[in-house]
This record gives sequence, structure tokens and C-alpha cells, in this order.
Amino acid sequence: MDSEQPRVFKVKFPSDLDYVGPIRKFVAETLGVSKFSPKFAYRSEVIVDEICHNAITHGSRTADAAVEIECRIFSDRFEFQVNDQGGKKDDIERLKKAMKKADVQASDFPEENDGRGLGLEIVRLLSEEIKMEIGDDNMTTVRVVRKREDA
Amino acid sequence: MQELKIQKMPVELRPDLSMWKLEGELGPESIARIQAEFELVLDSKQNFLIAEMSGVTQVSSAAIGQLMGCRQLLSERGGDLVITGVSLDIKSKLSAMGATKIFKFYNELRSAINAYHWEVERKAEKVGLSFPPELQFVPPVRQMVSRIARQKGYSHRDSFRIETIVDEICNNAVEHGSEKVKKNIDLTVQINREKIELEVANASDPDKIENLRAVSSSLSKPPTADAGQRRGRGLALIKMLSNNLDINFSGEGTSVHVTKLREE
Repeated sequence: MDSEQPRVFKVKFPSDLDYVGPIRKFVAETLGVSKFSPKFAYRSEVIVDEICHNAITHGSRTADAAVEIECRIFSDRFEFQVNDQGGKKDDIERLKKAMKKADVQASDFPEENDGRGLGLEIVRLLSEEIKMEIGDDNMTTVRVVRKREDA
Repeated sequence: MQELKIQKMPVELRPDLSMWKLEGELGPESIARIQAEFELVLDSKQNFLIAEMSGVTQVSSAAIGQLMGCRQLLSERGGDLVITGVSLDIKSKLSAMGATKIFKFYNELRSAINAYHWEVERKAEKVGLSFPPELQFVPPVRQMVSRIARQKGYSHRDSFRIETIVDEICNNAVEHGSEKVKKNIDLTVQINREKIELEVANASDPDKIENLRAVSSSLSKPPTADAGQRRGRGLALIKMLSNNLDINFSGEGTSVHVTKLREE
């Protein structure tokens, strides 16, 4: 696979936890057939689960909200992006805080060690790069990059 | 003893739905209160009630029986009474009372609202997928659609047949698609309680399209005894497994639309 010509997959699904299982399995199986190791595929599945779960529970304001994911598979890395509507002000603040917490060490925030934001800490632990963008009208994008471990 | 409080809460995502926030002990003395509040729900012509129970500290079989009666009435009107936010301790008590076989439980409000769309309004849910035109990606795609069908309550048999249809239409899209135009294949899935609709669109290869057109038109004719005729088996299989099959050819692309009714 040419490292500059990624395989691109896009999925748009209703903001409903019912879809998270099938979607995360789809991503893991796609990585499997793209010759990534089972370990890499499974850890990527964990990331997809955490980020999609966050997008549904904290990033959906309307009854008909949808979540969009984009996967770009290169020979040496996997890039994953999730877009959601963005939640209420509280949700956005919590996400920013969790991102900040993930940028440093969780132990720097002992008073906030209540389990919230744990998902992003897991994502941070398993990936090389995690970025968040909040656009107009709170539209939120989380982008994760994982590099092939057996390269 | 902590007396039961029933607070009517607005449902921001769906203002037309009713939600109770229950706090305290659901004891036998709370039955009259539940009945009075429930009559207000009936008067307002609402038939879907969400009971948020994260603040409930104790449950009695008498009060749960009362809630079951409320649920029965809503059910007869085509609605439901569902429970959200219940703690593990309370849920195990409800399970011992047999209530987990009667009520539907959701971890959060959004899931309960989604259940309303699905169960009561019978709305279709839509999933869009775009994937590269390579055969190796068809198995993950077909399994994803099959898992969605299972998750939405379709039987193993229905889900497997849906998986077979997706496999065939996606393989066709790859095999008969353009090799020059490396455009992703688009799959759209619309699913509701009664049926699933699948649409696959791909860039066409002008050299292959006549062959596909011939195979497509032969589907409307009775099968011949020509055992050597191997082309078109996939489309024939889709036709057998589905309730409707439409193929549209245009200069730029081909789209296949399949409808499969839920059988079980």
C-alpha cells in the first residue's frame, strides 16, 4: 500500500449506542484485512469505542443527531476522525478539561480523579496523537493518529 | 423512610414526551401518588412515559405492580413506560421481582428517546458508508450491516440473509465497477422495524455495463437449463432473498436498490 494513498472509509450513523458495537468491529476488521496486527486492530477498536461513545452521550443535541467517522488507512499508520454536533456548554467544557487532562498527567489532577474523562486518557495512552477542534455552533471533531507498532 | 417524590421533567430532545424523575422510596404508600400522576399523563394524551429512577433508594413489589399497570395501559394505546438511570442494586431487586421481563431499561435518556423513535414512531434509521472498491473490504462491510440488523432486533436468520445480500451487491459493485475511476463505493442502509433497504452506488465501467445489463434483464425470464451459465448467479440470489430489486444504469454509475422485509 502506498503510504501517501490512504484507503478512506466514511460512516455516518444515528447517534445511538446500538451502533457503536457494529461500527467499532467494522473498523477493527478493516484494519485486519489491511494487514495490521490483531493487537493493533483491537486497540484501535478500543479507541473507536471510546470516542464514538463520547460523541453520542456528550455530543448530540437534537433527537435526529448523527455521528460521522472517517478512517484513513496508510501502510504505516491509521488516522481516525469523529465529528459530532457538539454538546451543551457543560459538555464542551468537560471535553476541553478532559483533553487538557490528557495532555498532561492524570496524576496532576488528583482531586478530579472521578472516572470522568477516563475514555480520553485511554485514547491518549493507545495513540500517538489526539487533537480536538470545536467549530462553529459547537461542532466537535476529534482526530486520532496511531502508528503501526510492528513496522 | 424517604417519601417518594415524582417530578415532571421536560424532555429537551422531545418536548412531546413525558418524563418523571422519581426520588426516594417506591413503597406501598406511593401507589396513590403514582396513580394520580399517571392520570395526568393519560389526560395529556401522551402514550410514552420515561421514568428516571437514579434517585430511587428502595422498591416494593406493590409499587412496581402499580407501574406495571400503568405500562399496560400505555402499551394498549401503542406506547410504553420505560425506565432509565436505575442503580445496579435497585435493578437486581427489580430483577428478583420479575420486572426486568416487563419493562425496558436504558442507561440514559437518549437511548430511551431512540427507543421511542424505533418502537412507537417506527422511524427508519439511516447509515451511510463509503469504502474503497476492493474485494477485501466487502466482508467487514457485510458483517457491519448484519450486526446492525441483529442489534436492532432482527433474527439471526434474517440478519444472515441481509449479510448475503450485502455481500453480493458489494462484490458486484467492485467487480463491475470502473477500474479507471477509483471512486469509493457508497452503501446506504435504511432500517426500521419492518424492513431494511439497501442501496449501493458505484462508478461504472462502460466495457462491463452491457454484460451487467444483459444479466439484469435475464432475471425477469424463467431460468434456463444451461448448467454452464454461471454469470448472474449473484443477482439471482439477491432476487430470491429479497422482496424487491432495482438496478439503475447511467452513464456515470450503477445503483442497486434492494428491499428486504423482516420475516421473523
